[in-house]
Amino acid sequence: MIQVANVSKVYRRGKNEVRALDDVTLTVPRGQFLSVMGSSGSGKSTLLNLLGALDVPTSGTLKIDGREISRFPDDELSRFRRDRLGFIFQFFNLLPTLTAIENVILPELLAGKSRDELEPKARALLEQFGLTGRDTHRPDELSGGQMQRVAIARALLSEPALLLADEPTGNLDSKTGGEVLRLIREATRARNLTVVMVTHDAHAAEVGDRIVRLADGRVVGDDPVRVAA
Amino acid sequence: MWSLLRLVSLRHVFGAPLRSLLTLIGVAVGVATLVGIAAINRSVMDAFRSTIDTVAGKADLTVAAETSGFPEELLETVRAVPGVLHASGGLSVVAPVKDSPGESMYVMGVDLLDDGFFRTYEGVDTDVGKLADDLEFLNSTDRILVSERYAKEKGLKTGGTIELITPEGAKPFIIHGLLKETGPLKAFGGSVAVMFFGSLQEAFARGRTLTRIDVAIDPRVGLEAMKDRLQKVVGSSIEVDSPDRRGAAVQTMVRSFQLGLNLGSGVALLVGVFLVYNTVSISVVQRRREIGTLRALGATRRRIRALFALEAGVFGLVGSLLGLPLGILVGKAAIGSVSNSISEIYVKVNTHSVQLGVPEMVMGLTLGVLGSVFAALRPSWIASAVQPVEALRKDAAIGAGAVEVKSWPTYLGVFLLAIVWPTTQIPPPLENLPLGGYAAIFFILMGVTLLSPLVLRTLNVPFARPGELLFGISGRLAADNFARAPVRTAVPVSALSIGVAMAVTLSSFIGSFQASTDRWIEQAVPADLFVTSSAKLAGTQNQSMQASLQKEIEAVPNVDLVDPVRLMAHDVLGLRIYVISLSSDIYRSRGNPLILEGSLPDAAQRASGQVVISENFARRRDLKVGSTFPIKTPTGEHTYTVGAVIIDYTSDQGSVIVDRELFVKQFNSDLVDTFHVYVKDLGALDQTRAAITSKLSGRFNAYVLSNAELRQEARKLVGGAFAITYAMEIVAVALALLGIINTLLAAVLDRTREIGLLRAVGADRRQIIKLFAGEAFFIGLTGSLFGVVTGGVVGYIVTKIVGVQATGWNFPFSYPWGTAVQMVVIATCAAIIAGLYPARRAASLDVVEALAYE
Ligand SMILES: Nc1ncnc2c1ncn2[C@@H]1O[C@H](COP(=O)(O)OP(=O)(O)O)[C@@H](O)[C@H]1O
Ligand SMILES: [Mg+2]
Repeated sequence: MIQVANVSKVYRRGKNEVRALDDVTLTVPRGQFLSVMGSSGSGKSTLLNLLGALDVPTSGTLKIDGREISRFPDDELSRFRRDRLGFIFQFFNLLPTLTAIENVILPELLAGKSRDELEPKARALLEQFGLTGRDTHRPDELSGGQMQRVAIARALLSEPALLLADEPTGNLDSKTGGEVLRLIREATRARNLTVVMVTHDAHAAEVGDRIVRLADGRVVGDDPVRVAA
Repeated sequence: MWSLLRLVSLRHVFGAPLRSLLTLIGVAVGVATLVGIAAINRSVMDAFRSTIDTVAGKADLTVAAETSGFPEELLETVRAVPGVLHASGGLSVVAPVKDSPGESMYVMGVDLLDDGFFRTYEGVDTDVGKLADDLEFLNSTDRILVSERYAKEKGLKTGGTIELITPEGAKPFIIHGLLKETGPLKAFGGSVAVMFFGSLQEAFARGRTLTRIDVAIDPRVGLEAMKDRLQKVVGSSIEVDSPDRRGAAVQTMVRSFQLGLNLGSGVALLVGVFLVYNTVSISVVQRRREIGTLRALGATRRRIRALFALEAGVFGLVGSLLGLPLGILVGKAAIGSVSNSISEIYVKVNTHSVQLGVPEMVMGLTLGVLGSVFAALRPSWIASAVQPVEALRKDAAIGAGAVEVKSWPTYLGVFLLAIVWPTTQIPPPLENLPLGGYAAIFFILMGVTLLSPLVLRTLNVPFARPGELLFGISGRLAADNFARAPVRTAVPVSALSIGVAMAVTLSSFIGSFQASTDRWIEQAVPADLFVTSSAKLAGTQNQSMQASLQKEIEAVPNVDLVDPVRLMAHDVLGLRIYVISLSSDIYRSRGNPLILEGSLPDAAQRASGQVVISENFARRRDLKVGSTFPIKTPTGEHTYTVGAVIIDYTSDQGSVIVDRELFVKQFNSDLVDTFHVYVKDLGALDQTRAAITSKLSGRFNAYVLSNAELRQEARKLVGGAFAITYAMEIVAVALALLGIINTLLAAVLDRTREIGLLRAVGADRRQIIKLFAGEAFFIGLTGSLFGVVTGGVVGYIVTKIVGVQATGWNFPFSYPWGTAVQMVVIATCAAIIAGLYPARRAASLDVVEALAYE
């Protein structure tokens, strides 16, 4: 599903060079839930942004479904993100002026689909995620956990192949965070989705199938998660 | 304070160079129009005054009947008055130059023997001292002296000729000699010809009349005493005044026109100041955290307020300084049109140069700086309310403030709108100065501005559907964003609405005026052809024609009737109105004047001094049917009785229609300004017209206009009078568009994360462009819709209150639907175009950086 080969990402700030990713090689098979761990500044978000085609690597190749995404023109990238990817961020996942259900169908609306066709499906998802009756609420009327659930629903609505989550629980208390993680786990497993989730919380990382550790932009560990008996 | 300014503000100013630049442009252009127009107004009046002053020379008192003249015997009477040391008589005419439309010469008829006492003439190739004995000069009717400069400019030499239009047709005038351009030869922009007064009387069919006697008095008697003595001798029909008091009627007359121009230029500055408000508000929002830090470090509230006010003041100062040179350009660009309009409507002025004087510069700088500081008051107040803890808040930059319904701007806005009507009812403090009406207009504009955020924040609902239909989901989001920061969005919306409102206002006034003039000419002046000399419209620019032409025109085949009409500017009851003389029988049988009161006098009533007056003259001087009033004529002061009040748009000062027979007798003049020609067969109109033209064209700069063409000219005159003001409102609209750019640039910054999010979930660049172009669309649409509505109200006030006070005319108001639709379409499209730059900026944001933006 994902093939990362010798990818480096260098940021230049004036004379300073920051090697955010340094020769990373990684393969993620379809259906795997990969947790990426590392301390702050270790390059986790950079990796995720590259996978999400939000950014291009300085060197190396990056293939998703066997296709080299860094070569796509901008339009095609947008379409690719819309159709194949789901994103969840740490905060500011939702547009404040849209209702919960509108936020969920936003990517599909951007794709030009009609509301009427999307809304029943979105409503069903929201119900499934325990947000019954909240579909016309705006983000400022929702709790942090509820907002993340809406974001998950949005990421899943278009039935993408790959879900990318950047510290989805970083802003939540541990109880709510746990619930959100469980939801991600269950919802993606049911759909056989590939997931890459970035976190610096070891506990959170445990929900995945495999943990890759980054430090200073390099892969310093790659272990399967032992299934707790 | 200065170090704080340097440290905190400068960095910000240069950090947002485009916004700072747009703000400076706003102030500069606003100041430039204001200053440019003020300079034009002063230059025109200076030129007018200097013509009066240079012509008056060293006279202590002037005995004058400028428009109608008096018999030359009066000169001897004046000389005989004890205390008169010296007296010199003269007369002057403005004579059009043949085959040079719009160009004319100020021809002074003087007695060189006497005149040297008051005015200095310096000969170039002529000995001025000897001219008084130069029989060739004295006994001819066609010898003139011009300035060396004028001659050079026109390629004339001594002995050469220049053709001027006289009432008897074009005549060649021989350059008898050249004078230095000093003293009176500097008058009228230097287009001056001097001739012997007897020759001038002859050449211009002035009989044995003079228009002016300059008097030097015995200082021991005193000015006031001499004035009284002279006044007693010359009778009440002739003014005795010191030269500096002369021209007052003209200045009063031009005042409302100039005030309108000034206020029109003020609108551009008002919109420019909005840009300052916009910029300061934006910077307060974006610098909340910085302000919090400053507060935490011990800066007092007052200091924060002063900081922002100072920052705005510096913007104002720099903008104004840039605006001054720009003002000269504005002045140069507009002087032609303005002096043209004043010449066509009020008095022939010859000004084509404009200088920026100290008064304009001071005014420009003061208003530019004060306006900017004033604009910063509210945002700096908001800034000073920032709490030190906000320095620590992460989301401090998000959002541009909510609207509270029960806040002081709301109350103030409601209050201002509430006092609009009472304000319009305040009577003007000075003739032609409708201050109440103008204040009311300002209150409306400000009231609407203050209340607009309240309306804006509800508009996402009605805009959501059309937005989505037009631009897809981006349009829906644009509608949301539009209503989301209403205080901020209200600024460009209001700025645009003010510009559009003023354009619609002007258009409604002009349109209503034109429609009324049109109707008036069609009904009251229904002649088929109008014959004039040297200008298409009789008034200030044409040359009168001799009465005998009537016979010649009557002899043209197909001509049924010819009415010789005189339009003489004349001071009556302190107003420079038009005395119109016409053949009452033709007027009664052919015309169908719109009578407001009374009825047209019959022959017996006319003979007893019954006249018809215009609506505006009646209103200005509170005259009714049966009222009596005096007119000074060359045959003494006569009393006239108002027989009827009619609608007449000849002059915004007023007009009196006197039967021709009576006029010729009392004014001692049978000259004609326009022949109204009625034909027998309208089908042959063109041939008749051609016949008249060919009969006159060699001799006069003759114009023969059909009724439709006359109406067209009248429309052009009205349109031309407001062309500059209209152009300035368009400038204001353009400045408002800069405000849109500013606001959207700030919105792009504020919503960077949102843009990142949208892009991450699949929005392509085009959709981001649509998001911001859509918001610009809503700003443009709302601003122009507000504008066309407000403009309707203001237009009504201008037509029905300001206009009535300034002109005395009360014409029906008509809403300019065409202009309104045009304005909405153009302003909205222009707004979208203005929005494209910020939109492109948004679309080209790096997604990763946008997502990481805080
Ligand atoms: N746009 C950027 N420009 C410059 N440096 C960046 C940029 N984004 C990230 N970095 C740097 O790259 C390194 C890795 O950043 P990041 O991937 O965000 O780390 P993490 O998500 O693990 O905290 C950091 O040192 C960071 O400062
Ligand atoms: Mg990170």
